[in-house]
Amino acid sequence: MNKYLPLVAALVLSSSTVAAQSFEDVFNAQRALHGYGHAFTFEGEQYTTDHPEELEAAAPANATNAKALIASAKAMHAEVKAVGYDWTLTKGILKNASKALKAGDFQKAMNLAAQAKYHARMGVAQYHNSKQSWLNMVPE
Amino acid sequence: MKIITSWLAGAALALIAGMSSAASTGNTIATVDPEADRLALQAYFQKRFPEVELADYGNGIYALDAASRAQWEELEEFPPYEFDIEEGEELFNTPFANGKSYADCFENGGIGVRQNFPYWSEQQDQVVTLELAINQCRTANGEKKLGWKKGKIAQISAYMAFTSAGELIDIKVPNDKAKAAYLDGKAQFYSRRGQLNMSCANCHLQGVNIPIRADRTGPTLGHVTHFPVFRSKWGALGTLHRRYGGCQNNVRGTALKAQGEEYRNLEFFMSYMSNGLAVNGPGSRK
Repeated sequence: MNKYLPLVAALVLSSSTVAAQSFEDVFNAQRALHGYGHAFTFEGEQYTTDHPEELEAAAPANATNAKALIASAKAMHAEVKAVGYDWTLTKGILKNASKALKAGDFQKAMNLAAQAKYHARMGVAQYHNSKQSWLNMVPE
Repeated sequence: MKIITSWLAGAALALIAGMSSAASTGNTIATVDPEADRLALQAYFQKRFPEVELADYGNGIYALDAASRAQWEELEEFPPYEFDIEEGEELFNTPFANGKSYADCFENGGIGVRQNFPYWSEQQDQVVTLELAINQCRTANGEKKLGWKKGKIAQISAYMAFTSAGELIDIKVPNDKAKAAYLDGKAQFYSRRGQLNMSCANCHLQGVNIPIRADRTGPTLGHVTHFPVFRSKWGALGTLHRRYGGCQNNVRGTALKAQGEEYRNLEFFMSYMSNGLAVNGPGSRK
């Protein structure tokens, strides 16, 4: 059995650990492990596991900031729709953000707008990633 | 020494593994080869399900799962699409206000032609599906377009498929523009979409015959042969593009427009993959 261990190790290592981990890999691993608000170090620099949209939603909750975040979420949503990669929940979340703004619940509006913007940004990333990676799924 | 040999063998395998994950399939007009793609797809399924006859893939998941097949065969004793075929025939033969009919728009009077759709139209510079051709026929004769996903268009399509039963799918990719449309369809089939980050291939290639709660997903090989289908979930007949939209929603992606360029190109690719299989639509599915 032991003589096969190096073989197995080589196969496992070949696909992942040989290449240095990217910031994205490390961020995603830390986020999955710790959720938002966790500090970690990458190549000597300090970062947190927050998505940019979560940092935007952490700004003071007021009408101006809520309107701005909803507007930028809508812009990102338009961008993802243009490439045909929008997700089903995003539109509804944006609607709810606008409702919360009208109701004066600015923090809720900002949280929802941040969520919608994140969805849309991930959809755009998915579009670009698919352009590169679809080939790997084709049987040879 | 044995350990060194083992490491070397491991390294070689790792290298091969790396090479096979860097796919060399055609992804440009110059390199894409529809026939090579079709043979590779067939080989994939034949290797994975060696006991299944190629011709049986037109029956979808029922070619692979005996229990599902038994239920389906019972359902087919009184086919739920039977009345739709009859209504489709009546619609097909009802003249338009100008006295012409669908038969005037298609080769062979529209009988036994399903296997040639979709095709690349040089004149229109686009892929033309059967449903698109049906609506083009209507507008050319002064009639209103039908909805794309269900109802009358599905019934007419079902009748036309029924008259083509047993004919072998025969899709052609005649030139570079057609190749571009094929390539676009191919890229769409393998591209991940939606919040669940899944591609068509995740379910209908890698995920085939693997239980997802109470269901099993069918193979993409033979997918198009039995459309339109009467789905128990819909309680009605629906077109392939209706199903595309449903699939996309299932992975939490917003569905694209039925009969838009993306879905027509996807159908073009998928139909080419089923070249040589017999038309057996309309079908019934869960």
